[in-house]
Amino acid sequence: MSVIKKFVNTWGLTELARGLGVTGRYFFKKKFTIQYPEEKTPKSPRFRGLHALRRYPNGEERCIGCKLCEAVCPALAITIDSEEREDGTRRTTRYDIDLFKCIYCGFCEEACPVDSIVLTDIDEYHFESGETGVVTKIDLLNLGDRYEAQIASARQQDSAYR
Amino acid sequence: MLKVEINGQQFEAEPGSTIIEVADNAGIYIPRFCYHEKLSVAANCRMCLVEVERAPKPLPACATPVTDGMVVQTLSDIAKQAQADTMEFLLINHPLDCPICDQGGECPLQDQAMGFGGSSSVFEEVKRSVDNVDIGPLITTEMTRCIHCTRCVRFGEEVAGVMELGAIGRGEDMKISTFLGTSMDSEVSGNVIDLCPVGALTSKPYRFTARTWELNGHKGISPHDCLGSNLEIQEIGGVVKRVLPRDNEAVNECWLSDRDRYSYESVNSSDRLTMPLVRRGENYQEIEWAEALDLVSSKLMQIKETWSGKEIGAIASPTASLEEFFLLQKILRALGSSNVDHRLRQQDFRDDLAAPVCPGTDVSISKLQELDGVLIVGSNIRKELPLISLRLRRVAQQGGEIAVLNPMSFDHNFATTQEMIVKPSMMAIAFASIARKIAMATGKEDLLPIDLVELATRHEFGINVDAIANSLIRNGTDALILLGQIGMNHPDASTLRQITSWLGVNCGIRIAILPDANGVAGWVAGCVPHRLPGGHSNSSPGLNCKKMIDQRLKAYVLYGVEVSNDYSDPVALDTALNEAEFVVSFSTFRSAVPEQADVVLPLAAFTEIDAGYINCEGVAQFANAAVNPMGQSRPGWKILRVLGNFLKLAGFDHVSSKDIIAELEEVYDLSAPISVRYKPDLQAINHVVTQSAEVKNGKQLDRIIDVPVYSVDPTVRRATALQSTKDADTVALLACAEELEELGFKHGGQIAVRSETGEVMLPVQPDERVPRGAVYVPAGLSETSVLGSLSVVMVQAME
Amino acid sequence: MEIDYQLSDDVREKIEAEANKYPSRRAAVKSALRYAQQEHGWVSEGVVNAVAELLSLQSIQVFEVATFYDMFYTKPVGRHRIRVCTNVSCMLRGSTDVLNHLKEKLGVEVGETTADGKVALFEAECLGACGGAPMLICNNRYVENLTPEGVDQLLSELD
Repeated sequence: MSVIKKFVNTWGLTELARGLGVTGRYFFKKKFTIQYPEEKTPKSPRFRGLHALRRYPNGEERCIGCKLCEAVCPALAITIDSEEREDGTRRTTRYDIDLFKCIYCGFCEEACPVDSIVLTDIDEYHFESGETGVVTKIDLLNLGDRYEAQIASARQQDSAYR
Repeated sequence: MLKVEINGQQFEAEPGSTIIEVADNAGIYIPRFCYHEKLSVAANCRMCLVEVERAPKPLPACATPVTDGMVVQTLSDIAKQAQADTMEFLLINHPLDCPICDQGGECPLQDQAMGFGGSSSVFEEVKRSVDNVDIGPLITTEMTRCIHCTRCVRFGEEVAGVMELGAIGRGEDMKISTFLGTSMDSEVSGNVIDLCPVGALTSKPYRFTARTWELNGHKGISPHDCLGSNLEIQEIGGVVKRVLPRDNEAVNECWLSDRDRYSYESVNSSDRLTMPLVRRGENYQEIEWAEALDLVSSKLMQIKETWSGKEIGAIASPTASLEEFFLLQKILRALGSSNVDHRLRQQDFRDDLAAPVCPGTDVSISKLQELDGVLIVGSNIRKELPLISLRLRRVAQQGGEIAVLNPMSFDHNFATTQEMIVKPSMMAIAFASIARKIAMATGKEDLLPIDLVELATRHEFGINVDAIANSLIRNGTDALILLGQIGMNHPDASTLRQITSWLGVNCGIRIAILPDANGVAGWVAGCVPHRLPGGHSNSSPGLNCKKMIDQRLKAYVLYGVEVSNDYSDPVALDTALNEAEFVVSFSTFRSAVPEQADVVLPLAAFTEIDAGYINCEGVAQFANAAVNPMGQSRPGWKILRVLGNFLKLAGFDHVSSKDIIAELEEVYDLSAPISVRYKPDLQAINHVVTQSAEVKNGKQLDRIIDVPVYSVDPTVRRATALQSTKDADTVALLACAEELEELGFKHGGQIAVRSETGEVMLPVQPDERVPRGAVYVPAGLSETSVLGSLSVVMVQAME
Repeated sequence: MEIDYQLSDDVREKIEAEANKYPSRRAAVKSALRYAQQEHGWVSEGVVNAVAELLSLQSIQVFEVATFYDMFYTKPVGRHRIRVCTNVSCMLRGSTDVLNHLKEKLGVEVGETTADGKVALFEAECLGACGGAPMLICNNRYVENLTPEGVDQLLSELD
């Protein structure tokens, strides 16, 4: 019996037909392939990309220089100097993140008591030389200003789970 | 001994000790805020509640004395619940601003909230807020954070002796404040920062510049006075951020004077020298080290060969380290000159040969508070040695007698039993009178040198002398005579030292002859013209610093000396430098360099060097470099060691500062106790008669020469916060109202003070602490430097 | 701001007598402030300084006591001080009406003094005269079983 079955399967090309069946099925199905960079996949609101420093709606920077992000950073990528600003508040004079060291773990964002340092969903950036891998306070604040809408909406979406 | 059980373990306890003391000794931690072992028990924070068997409710461990058979539970449910409830109450009004609070990370409230508090609170009401008070340039207040433990209030009242902070209002309205919002002017005020268990009182210069967990601590020793307080120098990335006390019961306990705490500020200043400089015409030019040292060595050699090594003189700041003193004198002596000295403000050197190996105290610092009687001679002790003054305060609190013989009635933070205020020219006579009284009463009058008897009989002082003498006799070996800076720098200093030593030797009274800053190390290292290292006598003594200046040498080495401030006679020093052929200045600060310097070598600051200091008790203490020297500045011992190589001198092969100490220890045992008694020397007893010159205008008065607390050395003079305190901002002539009236002084005017070398106009403050016949004109300031060292000045009121 | 104030010889004498009663002079602060306030009307900074000097204390030590007790006035007050009890017994017996009546009549809020400097109005906690509630204390005199008419009567008696 098995001999006859084997013979038919071999000479009847049933396996080929089955295989082509799969191919044929997917040929007419909706396509998965994304045409990057024209097309992009959707990202989770928790996506951990490039860093940014946020501001309050009145334009005041959120960061109070508490250095908790610096302390928690497992890769020692953050460097902060702080001092008393003229109005008596605690502010940073330097806020550098070395993107070569950063492992994008998001601990800094979790540690931040004022939601200042955040990881945006930006994942497309490059450096032209080694030293540009350090983003400064001004860069980070500019990033925050530019992507505030996205940052805010991502936090909004995720707020129920925090 | 009582038997106490804590958490099931048996302990023995002294009767009268409290539960918290027994627990602390046993290593069982009970949370606390208001309790501090150096302060009285207030029991107002209630954090240390523990369960005691047969007590109806939890008891505060800090205020409950132990009884025999007491059974204490610190970890039972009742105790834990009581502590958690207390914590909840404390947090009702405490703001949650830990991220911006400078106390964050070293905060007992934070730690204990984590360890003993609950995770939530039933209180949802609005927290109270309290206005801050500005209490001066050293301390920031954030009074909303205050939990009313009153440690700061008790510190002022009990330890510092000036109650500046108080708890005003009550209940929820209670707040810590000064009266009328005045500033805190105590010389030990910074300690309230360490005492404050929350962030209500924090350091102003340190404010917001670092977080506690990122700081690296290094062991330091304070170079500013002869106590040698132990410091914890904290830095990040090579920048000193703050200085804290390092506990040492034998020296500074857990306190620190403001001078030691805040002097670090100047170390980071932009006034630091970072490159060797050489003078080219009018201007200075930066050069490399090798070039600079080559220049210095060739110049010194040239002077040695042209004239003689004896034409070179070195004067060192008394704040220099043991290693620096040692190498400086070694270089000078190798060049054939013993002209090396560190006693910059001393004017009387007649007793040099009679001197012991080094000055210092006869009694250990930790035993000072156990004395029964003290006579302070010529010292504003509270400003000169703030922490010694705190110990003397305990003598007074325990009923001891403290007498004072001063040219001015300084404000002390202890009660004095007798106060003898005489004008400066009478100091030696007054002290001799006391000595004579003691000698007479103890039947030792025959032993008293005849010159002293003669001196004592020149003036009758009355009842005060008897009282002081009796007090010293009564207390015998528990009495101390303390000779301070005003006495040491007095024109009659030799006489004062002779009398002190005589009383020490013949009457068994303890004595303390206190040098300036690290002066003991200066003596031990041989940085004096008449002694070799280890105090060995020198067969070819050199010139002391006064003679060096007066004899106009060809070359001067200024080691950390600022001309207008550090030397007793700035005018003479200035003239000497003008006429010198070659001047090399070792300096930490650009503005401290004299304009006559030919070569300037940048010295590392006290936080940047491995350094040995010997305190007035003779204990050698060693500091570690906390940070790297700024720019191209280098530790003094390294500069001197390499300079020795450039000069091709033998024996300059030290690899580390320890090698230098080892070399010194070959001739002197640093661990040996010191003897501070001067040998009798009749030459030294002559009283310097003050010259009465012809006076045309105004009046001739004795000048009280005292260096204000924040003008003692270049480092302190450049610490910005200290310089904005009240102690630093008064450059004024003080005289009693009667004297001012006689001078024809009208309110709001100025007074011209004249000496042979110059004249200065000074604002005037009437001050009843100054006796008749004298005026107080501060020394150590650029403003008064033109007056020179004269102890007699001409004073005239101006319109 | 008044910093210097001279206590009269009479007050100084009384304070000395009080100070002699205690082992430490600090114990006499409260009595001293009471006499000084009787004379000056309120405890000014000058009074604090004068008392501190007399008792060899620091000003803040005296000021602590002055601010602790609310019957020491650290601000100028009227010649007559009316303190209306608003504690439970008095409240139940109508102290709110009495207080409102006083406010209206005097034209001041609690803690204020009338423009002519005559009367100052305060609230007080229980003064231990619940049997005569509602009550107030006018200077050192208890006035009990108050009614609006009684209050008017009291006010008319004040000079």
